[in-house]
Amino acid sequence: MAISKEAYQALEAIVGKEYISSDPVICEGYRSGPGGYECGLGYERVMTKIPGCVIMPRTTAEVQKIVKACNRYKVPYVPYSTGWYGPRSHCHVDDELLVDLKRMDDFEIDEKHLYATVQSGVIYSQLQEEAMKRGCYIIVGGGGSQCSAIANMLGDGWSPLSYRIGLPHRRILGTELVLPDGELVKMGSLATGEDDFWGEGPGPDLRGLLRGFTGLRGCLGIVTKMAIKLLPFQPERLVPTGISPHTTLELPVKRVKWINFTMPSKDSMKKAMFEMAKAEIGGGATKVPIFWRAIAKANCKEEFWDIWSQENEESIASFHLLRVLLIAFTSEEQMDYEEKILNEIITELGGEARRTRPSDESWFKNADSAGMWLMCGSYVSVDYVIETLEHSIPHGENYAELKKKFTPPLMPDYGDPGWFQSFELGHQGYSEFLVYWDPDVDTDGVDFFYLETSKENIRKRFYTSLLGPHQPLYLTGPAYGPNYHTWLLKVKDEFDPYFLCHPPVPLAHDAFVEKAEWMRPMKDWESPEIKHSS
Amino acid sequence: MNRRDKLVAIVGAENFSDDPAALESYAKDFSLQPAGAPEYAVKPKDTAEVQKVIKVANDHSLPVVQVSSWVHFHGATIPKKGGIILDLTRMNRIFEVDEFNKRVRFEAGVTWEQLTSHLEKKGFRIMMPLLPHPQRSVLTDHLEREVITNTVYDYGEPLQSMEVVWPNGEVFRTGSASVTGYPDSPSKGGNPAGPGIDFYRFLQMAQGTMGVVTWTNLKTEFPTQKDKMFIATVKDLNMAMEFLYRILRIRIGQECLLLNNTDLAAIMATDMKKEFASLRASLPGWTLILVISGHFRDPDGKIRYEEKALNEIIKKEFPEISFSDNLPGLPGSGQKLLGMLRQPWPKEITYWKNRYKGGGHSLFFITKPTLAPKFIDKMESLASRYGYPEGDLGIYIQPIEHNRACQLEFNLFYDPTSRPEVERVRTLASEGAKTLFDQGALFTRPYGELAKLVYDRADGYAAILKRVKKLFDPKNIMNPGNLCF
Amino acid sequence: MLKGKLKLDVTNLDNFEYDMSKCIKCKGCTWVDHIYMPGMTFSTRCPSATRYLFDSYGAYGKMRIGTAMLEGRMDYSDELLKILYACTLCGACDVGCKRNLDLEIELTLEALRIKAVKDGKGPMPQHKKLAQNIAEKHNRFGSPHANRNNWLPKDVKPAEKADVLYFVGCSAAYTSPEIAQATAKILKASGTPFMLMPDEWCCGNILYSVGMFDEAQALAKRNVEEVRKTGAKTLLLSCAEGYRMWKVDYPKLLDIATDDLGFKVVHLVEFVDELIKKKALKLKKKVDLKLTYHDSCSLSRLSEPWTPWEGERGEWGMVSPRLERRRGENGVYQTPRDILQAIPGVELVEMIRMKENAFCCGAGRGTKEAFPDFASWAAKERLEEVKAIRAKAIVSTCPWCKENFTQVLSKEGENVKVLDISEIILAAI
Repeated sequence: MAISKEAYQALEAIVGKEYISSDPVICEGYRSGPGGYECGLGYERVMTKIPGCVIMPRTTAEVQKIVKACNRYKVPYVPYSTGWYGPRSHCHVDDELLVDLKRMDDFEIDEKHLYATVQSGVIYSQLQEEAMKRGCYIIVGGGGSQCSAIANMLGDGWSPLSYRIGLPHRRILGTELVLPDGELVKMGSLATGEDDFWGEGPGPDLRGLLRGFTGLRGCLGIVTKMAIKLLPFQPERLVPTGISPHTTLELPVKRVKWINFTMPSKDSMKKAMFEMAKAEIGGGATKVPIFWRAIAKANCKEEFWDIWSQENEESIASFHLLRVLLIAFTSEEQMDYEEKILNEIITELGGEARRTRPSDESWFKNADSAGMWLMCGSYVSVDYVIETLEHSIPHGENYAELKKKFTPPLMPDYGDPGWFQSFELGHQGYSEFLVYWDPDVDTDGVDFFYLETSKENIRKRFYTSLLGPHQPLYLTGPAYGPNYHTWLLKVKDEFDPYFLCHPPVPLAHDAFVEKAEWMRPMKDWESPEIKHSS
Repeated sequence: MNRRDKLVAIVGAENFSDDPAALESYAKDFSLQPAGAPEYAVKPKDTAEVQKVIKVANDHSLPVVQVSSWVHFHGATIPKKGGIILDLTRMNRIFEVDEFNKRVRFEAGVTWEQLTSHLEKKGFRIMMPLLPHPQRSVLTDHLEREVITNTVYDYGEPLQSMEVVWPNGEVFRTGSASVTGYPDSPSKGGNPAGPGIDFYRFLQMAQGTMGVVTWTNLKTEFPTQKDKMFIATVKDLNMAMEFLYRILRIRIGQECLLLNNTDLAAIMATDMKKEFASLRASLPGWTLILVISGHFRDPDGKIRYEEKALNEIIKKEFPEISFSDNLPGLPGSGQKLLGMLRQPWPKEITYWKNRYKGGGHSLFFITKPTLAPKFIDKMESLASRYGYPEGDLGIYIQPIEHNRACQLEFNLFYDPTSRPEVERVRTLASEGAKTLFDQGALFTRPYGELAKLVYDRADGYAAILKRVKKLFDPKNIMNPGNLCF
Repeated sequence: MLKGKLKLDVTNLDNFEYDMSKCIKCKGCTWVDHIYMPGMTFSTRCPSATRYLFDSYGAYGKMRIGTAMLEGRMDYSDELLKILYACTLCGACDVGCKRNLDLEIELTLEALRIKAVKDGKGPMPQHKKLAQNIAEKHNRFGSPHANRNNWLPKDVKPAEKADVLYFVGCSAAYTSPEIAQATAKILKASGTPFMLMPDEWCCGNILYSVGMFDEAQALAKRNVEEVRKTGAKTLLLSCAEGYRMWKVDYPKLLDIATDDLGFKVVHLVEFVDELIKKKALKLKKKVDLKLTYHDSCSLSRLSEPWTPWEGERGEWGMVSPRLERRRGENGVYQTPRDILQAIPGVELVEMIRMKENAFCCGAGRGTKEAFPDFASWAAKERLEEVKAIRAKAIVSTCPWCKENFTQVLSKEGENVKVLDISEIILAAI
């Protein structure tokens, strides 16, 4: 057995025989790669392992007991909701226990008070449908409908609909967290009662341990239950239509409408977003990379390349598509009003409406996120950051320039500067940069690019989502805060004294750079020796 | 150099005091908390001086109590274990107003009065709690999560990234202000989250126990272009709650709140002696205040569709609700109220919570709106039991974010020079807190003796809080004796 | 093969190395299409993943296991065989994956079983018994071959020669004769002369499904040749599994296109639909029934015709020549619904998981024989949906579905009728 017999027996006693296995075939099914988010790259190849054992708890109490048993027997473990996030959600050391949370799928909803309580096994499309049945909605993060709602709320959780709804941090209410030492902390209103409708307090807010912007990849405990804020929607149904692969939600256009506009320049798009926010209209506003239009049009990978190969730097630079979502929350008259105002803004800025399908398959129920892998069989976002619009736009442009040096092996995108969106009615802006490569050729260049983006952010003083466990901690740490890493590691050491919870995260990327021979020349920062586990 | 001399060397003699008479103003506040006894008070001018003071405090294991406002109501800044008062009121710079990103950055000592008038000149406003004291620190009130009167914005949390001096004296910037060289960076500080962990959360509702926040970024909004007041008399609070569930969910309105006659009279009376009693008697038991506003670009259009939706709901579902643009019998009161809602309390007038009798203790908590009437009944019955004058209870209900929750606030008025009144209010507040807490009231901001009540029940949470606190403040110098520390 | 020559040939797992290695673990293979996600209940469409829970039982786990097998890192074991065979090959995973990607999941699963058999490890012992029955008695039950046509009603006489050849199949011949009888009567009522195979043998569905490629291929050759000899223009089936076998897997086994079989393969519902349009059949009799329609996998998701393909995979994983992928979009979904809705008195209520999202009955492709508990469990899961919509009857187009639902219902004592569509059509004539 990969973990000790005593440990296995202790764990089996917690969940029952049926829900634990160290059979090699069972464990092999939990391999991270070779396909998936960030898969096929050096990090995945070097840092991930097949679990030594897989366990499937059902309740918070079982999770707590499992964690305590791991502490007792010094078994490293990693929490796993869907495994969708790629290598960083999988085992990194030998003989590790993978805690598969899919059986934890309890669900409750209080539509009057606009929140739903979920366990880790509930995914976004389930939650969104239950919300929409009751006149509410949530943000389904860019990762897609298949994300565990909790996992995504801890590490991501935004989309163009964040124009209204904002940072996911704000939508985390009462939460249960099993800390790496097995202590259970109940946050928000759960600290003093059974109802989890409220997120803050009491007093200083321990939800600070949960995210740190884009999550800790499960190295600071296991969230077993979370109440998530719902937002009020409008009353008409978004009707599912079509047969796979052409399924979509038909929008009730008197209440929900996407409109695409061609704009004369990037600056005019930025201004449009500003004016929309000033007028306080809209439910979503995003620049659409031409790339995504090609994906949407293509029937297959080959057709995508037919379309994409027609593009060039000039066509990319001169294409400015703004996609705006209008939601008439209050009444149909709101739609008329907002559409009028929107058209006024667009006309002033020299834009023009394009014919837009009255349907959605990307954002309300993000059913096509897996399509990001269609073109090349690979994908990772090298940055996705919420800051301000004035940060987002140059951030994307900077990436586009940097990316040229690493193309190939990166897929040619003719200098496309990625997504940018307006969040929180113009208080924030969003930029995301996605890259693709052929996973069946030498991918070292992608590894270099990934790390180089971190250095570039530091050089150019951009904020970034890829902090904490996402990049070498001793590289980013001194540059942000400064020295945020010292605090993060203090917290980690306090609550995980044996370093058993998802080792060696948050130092996994540091370890990767040291382990991977081709990465070592990139190391030009100081760090102590990285311990992988106790 | 002894510690006193070190402090003088840092801030200068004119910004230092250990004179008991001068220190007395820090020893107590408008709360019912017993007086404390600070040893020193220092007024640093900037973050660098704050750092140095903190280092001295660490070296000498001296408690530090940070004070950013000129007035205090909850006892959080009364030193429980002596130490240094770190008075940040000199740090009152407004660094920049960022129009494009709707943001303002300012220091801890900036008051409501200062900030709102500055922003007004620049063409902005910020979301307001109800009539904040003009000399309170805007930063502190946001950190302490004062609830805003506006229910319609989905994103809540106006605070963005900030600067903090940790208890070890290190400076740190949270969120996107953490980039090297901020604000000389493409990053504007618009994201409060990270880096690494969400430090900003530890600083919220911390009553100064986790670190010294020296400046913050805050969301601003454009002013509304047109407003329409909707004021309704409410007899049946349960019905009013259902009404709010209905209309706030479809995003009607900007500001929306409920006040009972006592609170409203204390707010509206021009001359307390002459008007308060009659005004209170003439005002309805409850008043529902709703503001519908239009923004840039056809503000009338927005008001029109919201008003239409509102009227349709009233006609079909809530015929008992009848709105007017003024309080009954008080022409012009609607516009007066609207103006008040968008400003801090006027400096020249005694603060509204102290106007009636000189003293006012607020007992407030978060709950679900549907439960508010039950808590009110309970509190009224407790008030009667403890001899609190009938009709003297001020009650304020603030719906939060589409009415998914609300803050319920009881204002207990008393003459601070009358010992029996003080004791009566102290007892009522204490018993009220215990009873309501047992019935599910959520005290997220546990000031004074509420802390023991809350943390005895939330002992698991408190235990983890203490472990986190110890990482940042191993010597427990930051405002010890508050919360569970 | 990650790059280079490539063929959609299930006898060589190498052909699916790319597909296995590019599974991204999105679980589109397991969840109902997110657009149609009904909420917290009835949210999955993979019976194996839903029942056994460990990732290894979902297609996303199997792709990883397959990669390990190809890399020589995975030894055969009872658990591995269970993972490969406790699966109805219902195609939900294939369709789910192809909503967004171009991975051949179904073919990979078939190839894994073929490899297991080639390696001398598969199929399951129960399947070997079936194979023996087929070899000896030309039916999977091991019943006397001579009894194969005993189902024929006295008042129906097949023609000596006709354009339409009705292929009955083992189930309808031996265990669900009411389906064959209803089909024959429908043909008679519509004035459609039909013939039977002079000597009908098992179609070999089980053999192919469990990976016994050579045996299935031999049977396919024989059966196709026999049909060609009859000169039939149309091969009619009332069994979805048989339909898929003839239309899709026979061409696959013979490395030809469906169009090259030399005859059209149609299911009864397609034929009836044409008859109704030509006014050769009128469904006028009232059938007072609130019923629901279960999309049998092999008639719906898996029923698109087969075209052999070979070529190359190159840069970015692109294949050439261009490959028209079978994504399940053109399966037979609407036709049976149109028929049911045309019958007076019928109230058709849809289950929550319908069309390409349907939850397999659990019986097919060797599952029921090797894992009867799993098959019962799957049927029970499906029947929960029937209960949820309060239908009085469940109608399908396959005797496998009908038999499995019937067995479970009789154990549960629920008052829901299980009918084949042929029976409803007949009742409405």
